[in-house]
Amino acid sequence: METSCCCRSARRALLGIYTLQRIGNRWRCLLFTLCLFFSVFSGNIEAEDIAKTSEIESPNTDVQDTDARSALRAEMIARIDDVLAEHWRQAKTPPSPPADDSEFLRRAYLDLTGAIPKVSRVRAFLADKHPRKRQALLDALLRSPAYATHMATLWRNIMLPAGMENGNIQGVLGVQNWLRRQFAANLRYDRLVSDLLVATGGDDAGPSLFYTALELKPEELAANTARIFLGLQIQCAQCHDHPFDHWKQHDFWGYAAFFAQLEQTQSSPGNTRLVDLESGEVTIPETDTVVAPQFPDGQSPLEDEGGPRRTQLSLWMASRENHYLPPAAVNRAWKQLFGWGLVEPVDDLGKHNPGSHPELLEELSVYFVRSGFDYQELLRTLANTKAYQLSSRYDGERPPPELFATMMIKSLSAEQLYDSVARATLTPRNIAAGMGNSPAFSPQRQAFVTQMQLRNWNPAEFQAGMPQVLMLLNGQTVNAASLPETSGLLKALEAPWLSEPQRVETLFLAAYARFPTDEERQRFVGYIAESDNAKSRRRARGDVFWALLTSAEFVLNH
Amino acid sequence: MNNPSNVFGGLSRRQWLRRMSVGVLGASACPWLPALAAAAQPKPGKHCVLLWMPGGPAQTDTFDMKPNHANGGEFKEAATSVPGLRFSEHLPQLAQQAEHLALIRSLSTKEGDHGRGSYLMRTGRQPGGPVRFPTLGSIVSKELGDSEARLPNYISINPGPAVNAAAFGPGYLGPRYAPATVGGGAGQNAVPAADGFAELGVDNLTLPKNVSAEQHQKRLEMWRSLQSRFLASRSSGNSRAQNTMFRRAVRMMHDDAVAAFDLSQEPDAVREAYGRGTFGQGCLMARRLIERGAPFVEVSLGTGLGWDTHLNNFPAVKSLSAQLDAGWATLMRELADRGLLESTTILWMGEFGRTPTINGNAGRDHFPAAWTCVLAGGGIAGGQAFGRTSDDGSAVEDGKVDEGSVLATFCRAAGIDPAVEIISSIGRPFPIMEGEPIADLLA
Repeated sequence: METSCCCRSARRALLGIYTLQRIGNRWRCLLFTLCLFFSVFSGNIEAEDIAKTSEIESPNTDVQDTDARSALRAEMIARIDDVLAEHWRQAKTPPSPPADDSEFLRRAYLDLTGAIPKVSRVRAFLADKHPRKRQALLDALLRSPAYATHMATLWRNIMLPAGMENGNIQGVLGVQNWLRRQFAANLRYDRLVSDLLVATGGDDAGPSLFYTALELKPEELAANTARIFLGLQIQCAQCHDHPFDHWKQHDFWGYAAFFAQLEQTQSSPGNTRLVDLESGEVTIPETDTVVAPQFPDGQSPLEDEGGPRRTQLSLWMASRENHYLPPAAVNRAWKQLFGWGLVEPVDDLGKHNPGSHPELLEELSVYFVRSGFDYQELLRTLANTKAYQLSSRYDGERPPPELFATMMIKSLSAEQLYDSVARATLTPRNIAAGMGNSPAFSPQRQAFVTQMQLRNWNPAEFQAGMPQVLMLLNGQTVNAASLPETSGLLKALEAPWLSEPQRVETLFLAAYARFPTDEERQRFVGYIAESDNAKSRRRARGDVFWALLTSAEFVLNH
Repeated sequence: MNNPSNVFGGLSRRQWLRRMSVGVLGASACPWLPALAAAAQPKPGKHCVLLWMPGGPAQTDTFDMKPNHANGGEFKEAATSVPGLRFSEHLPQLAQQAEHLALIRSLSTKEGDHGRGSYLMRTGRQPGGPVRFPTLGSIVSKELGDSEARLPNYISINPGPAVNAAAFGPGYLGPRYAPATVGGGAGQNAVPAADGFAELGVDNLTLPKNVSAEQHQKRLEMWRSLQSRFLASRSSGNSRAQNTMFRRAVRMMHDDAVAAFDLSQEPDAVREAYGRGTFGQGCLMARRLIERGAPFVEVSLGTGLGWDTHLNNFPAVKSLSAQLDAGWATLMRELADRGLLESTTILWMGEFGRTPTINGNAGRDHFPAAWTCVLAGGGIAGGQAFGRTSDDGSAVEDGKVDEGSVLATFCRAAGIDPAVEIISSIGRPFPIMEGEPIADLLA
């Protein structure tokens, strides 16, 4: 922290001095370079990453972060590692060695905040000698605004069909902002789901686009809410009894009946509201059989349970009778960090598909409920395990993913990839800002995400096809990042007091969050040295950066 | 990725077990059980062309004329090379090749909105469900294509506006099956200025202007060294897939694959014959691609929803017909000259038809109840019109079929069994297309 203060005051002093004088062009250039230089080489200056924790009042009051809570967490962490180790022993599969600091840092940033760390953060973390620095980093990341934004993006992509942004940006922003607020406040997860289910406002006011995107169709709403929040694939029972599970057609339509009394009104263009009606029923297709509301556990709402049907369902969602929600949430959190759920597919839970570690899923579900449905605490617990902090290197044939004996090498979502290129390149925030001044919806980012077309992104699969790969190789995003004229990082590296090895080192830290090996340093410094003038050396650095940005080590989360 | 379970026919172990257990326990209770579990083998030498007509062409002014009715409008009907089969006077070159064409005049669908109609016709599924079905080109090219091929298996030329992105995407198959897009997009003129030809090219296939070929080679050299270090200790499904896809893309940039997209290699007379606009030049590119083995090429006509002729229908359709006629007819002729027409199945369609009645603006509006699409080439029994509409064109009188039948017929003609089931991303199997092929139309 001291170094960062020092740098900050140095920067301020420099700015002060130079702006007081009449600055010529040369000085202006130098000043610009200096600013960029400090943003690369100073310590922790990422205000956007690391929030002042006091600003975040957690309404999660079931359990305070007390010694008791820490003890529970430590117990759960140990338990996870024990259970996994037992499976490794049985499978006679030795685990990977622990991840080194670089590996851990890059992974934690990507998984919890959606982008790689800045060079300054990498330097500070690698230099930090504190024995509990990993734990402290995870705490800081989980409390950062970037965490809430990343979670909102992840869940928005789960909830809304791909491509909704085109022509419905306000509605999409509404969902994104609403989710972001819930995750920033670390609202209880059960509350989040039940609040979502009674959404009425659209546009910027709330998440009703989730309903309107599915055209208020009871069968679609039933299928999607069950799949996303309960891990139930009941949509198979829409037309027929479920082939793999116990769901009957009647069960499906009983659940769908909760969504049968909904209407959309439009008071003014672009301002839609959802209204609960007092009538409206579902019938089994091609019959006249009306089906009354029935929860997935087979119970019906009590006679005296009044209020709109959606409210009845939302109360049940957050009730202790709902045994589906906790394991479904735990499984998603596990997949977010490990790339592979305890049950796969991540949204198909049930007796027919018990997954790889049913005992662990069960215990984690109990733990999650006891923590007050604290999703952040769940991620904190998982990320602090030895298993999460295993290296992704593996000697010999890689073990199957469900053993978790080595860290899965995960693909990046389109957003993670774009944001990581922007982070590595030092793209100024004001350039990235777009719709509603939200960098999340800048036109460049939107175009990139649209072209990547990663529908139903699954970190366990590398889904990019030829058009996407050609875009990464030759498209505007990576090209601008590797051009000396447009890349903030490459400009910063022009500072005359840097040696060429230091520059190469910085390129590696920016892209890989690690120092180059001696061999790499030699090779790339050698390549740059082949150029005989300053201009072509600048370009050569861009070539090195291009190779880094298109390589597997950058494009994947490992 | 590299699924080790080839013994199970390309299914993962879990999918296999799941199917096994279902097969044993209750096949009869499960109407959607796989008809065939065999993984598809690439079908060598089969090609498909989709001629996509954004906006919805008027059947009564193209292939289902009503010359003796007030709805017929101002165009005349003209004889073709097949006795009794008659088209619009503005499709003279196609008329000469009517023996290759099979018209379906009894298509009846239920979506009259551009976005929803596009999804319906291009996926064969009702729009709006939770499952994202793949667009026709994605699923057909997956069946016909070779994943190691240098050319993309699905190339879409001059794609129209994505009125509904889902209708043009790979859906549950994932982006590996998305089309490689060529030219087109917003802002590009369908008809080039003055005396030139429309410019078409694959997005991002060539190096950015600021990067020289020599520089690119050096970049790749560094890239390879980084790749081998990473893969040495981290060779997983994802990292190998990344490596393979990036190498394929680089190969495509350097290969004669680039030449396939280079229309300047064609004599001007040939380019002229196809028509100078994006559609004509797109058809020419389709021929070059098919010659080089591409399994699925899609060419869209016009900019925007060109066929959406709510206003002044007749001059617009006349001009669009001229582009359509030159491009499509020349493509068929040149494919036939090369012996490729018999292995290339062609489908011409839009998202719906247009009202037989003419509105107050001399236009025609959306009309899905009774309209026409056309199949041609490989596997198709040409020289016929299937089905019939009433004298005023308002209803199907004979041989009513829906989108499923049309697309299933197309698949069958291309040598694909539409009933083969694909495992979707949610683990539920879906047939390639639902619907029965129309036997009368198959060669």
